[in-house]
Amino acid sequence: MIFAVGALVLLAFLGAPLFVVILAASILGFTSSEVDLSVIAIELYRITDTPILLALPLFTFAGYLLAEGKTSERLVGLSQAFLGWMPSGLAIVSFFTCAFFTAFTGASGVTIVAVGALLYPALKQEGYSDKFSLGLVTTSGSLGLLIPPSLPLILFAIIAQQMGFGEEVSIKDLFVAGLIPAALMILLLSLYSLWENKDAPISKQPFSWPHALATIKQARWEIPLPIFVLGGIYSGFFAISDAAAATVIYVIIMELFLYKEIPFHRLAHIMRDSMMMVGGILLILAVSLAFTNYLVDAEVPTKLFHLIQATIESKIAFLLLLNIILLALGAILDIFSALIIMIPLILPVAVGYGIDPIHLGIIFLANMQIGYFTPPVGMNLFIASYRFNKPILELYRATIPFMFVLLIALLLITFIPSLTLFFIR
Amino acid sequence: MNNPVQKYIKYLHTLEDWILVGMLGGMISLATVQILLRNLFDTGIFWGDALLRIMVLWIALIGATVATRSNNHIRIDLVSRLLPPLIHRFATTLTFFFTSLVCIITAYYSVEFIRFEYEDQTIAFAQIPTWVCQSIIPIAFGLMALRFLLQGLLSLLGKDIPQGGL
Repeated sequence: MIFAVGALVLLAFLGAPLFVVILAASILGFTSSEVDLSVIAIELYRITDTPILLALPLFTFAGYLLAEGKTSERLVGLSQAFLGWMPSGLAIVSFFTCAFFTAFTGASGVTIVAVGALLYPALKQEGYSDKFSLGLVTTSGSLGLLIPPSLPLILFAIIAQQMGFGEEVSIKDLFVAGLIPAALMILLLSLYSLWENKDAPISKQPFSWPHALATIKQARWEIPLPIFVLGGIYSGFFAISDAAAATVIYVIIMELFLYKEIPFHRLAHIMRDSMMMVGGILLILAVSLAFTNYLVDAEVPTKLFHLIQATIESKIAFLLLLNIILLALGAILDIFSALIIMIPLILPVAVGYGIDPIHLGIIFLANMQIGYFTPPVGMNLFIASYRFNKPILELYRATIPFMFVLLIALLLITFIPSLTLFFIR
Repeated sequence: MNNPVQKYIKYLHTLEDWILVGMLGGMISLATVQILLRNLFDTGIFWGDALLRIMVLWIALIGATVATRSNNHIRIDLVSRLLPPLIHRFATTLTFFFTSLVCIITAYYSVEFIRFEYEDQTIAFAQIPTWVCQSIIPIAFGLMALRFLLQGLLSLLGKDIPQGGL
């Protein structure tokens, strides 16, 4: 058994698809406890028991469409017109734009490619240093994970509900819970930008009404989108999957008929590409259902809790340990697999320590967000290195100050639960 | 690779692509119709929600099958970049064959599962029996197993996956 587990870990590190590693682990587990393997198919079919899963392909497709059009350009123009007059205005613009864009498109690196690529030259042109600009766009590539309707937030709620935490973890609450932590991150990053650039020769863009109105006019079809989607969800008019369907319809009409940026013949390609990604995520989710079932049968989460509790007594020590593990995990695993694999193990343990499931979800995602650009293997570092044609070591140096700022935010979010829970509990 | 095989692979790709696109299109339309019916007329298609949930499964599995063409799955892959070329090739081949085997096992046992459902003749929605909805599980895993096997053979011979995938 130990040999088999070792072999599986080795195969995972050699590049076997994660779904296969999890599937093989469940096959091993069920075989060793003499359960007939057709249980795996039963578990796979169980993803049809979860109505909110519908939101996942729909939001993903909407995000792919937004990334394909020129939304990023209009978004940068709009925020620059309204925030550009402030000291460090463009830096603050970047945080807002990236956060918003990531919330709608998911943190798949597309923010760096679509928004970062516009902001990086603009930042340098206004007098920010190359190192600062590079660090900023790389770090901001995952900013916005905590802002609805980001897919990882939805996925966390889905997994928690699968595990029977349904009453405590509603998507609506989770959508509210992430707002203050996200605002805190943007605030701290903005303060850091002001301090870092206090002596830099940065040109400010004076505010002008005609220009501001022109950018509003350009982005006139995008501006209603968040109001419509989030307003619909918070007011209770839309269920999450309804909101997802409405978003898709809205974005299709906007991109194909109003802005006419995406030609019809591209549509099938975008559909296929986005569903390939959905397939990858949902397949891991489906096989994890089987594996989680085995883990629960074998009482692994309970045993894990007792094991950890024997060495770590205080909640504070547990939270610190949790952050360290999650940061490391966020750097190696992609966010969706990390959520799907780790939540079933961590959530029961955290609840055992008296941590609110929603608070745990926000801590988890905040860690993943930082993990995206944690050296040596954070995904955003590679994407930025590729996109901006910079050696990876330069990116390590550029992102480290931003990482410290976000680590401070993470500690505040972790140890002040009311930042997360203020509006919901 | 010879031409007739390439031709059939192309047919298969087109078929998969269109099923995937059709499913997503159908899903968006059906979900929209349901919202409109529910909010405007306080009604809905009785089996609509069940069908939507099954479409999610089909999209997931077909999407994953399509992703397998060029081995585009989520993976960790920390070690292989550090290996010398020959060992790397060996490790990749091994990984592909292992992956294929796991998919075959899954496909085999899902056929077993579906056979039980077929004997029970349960209904998923409208007049559609459950086993029809489940049939995508062995089909998808079977196709993935085949693709991984072929990719393993290519890797064994030291060849790359062709442009556009297998």
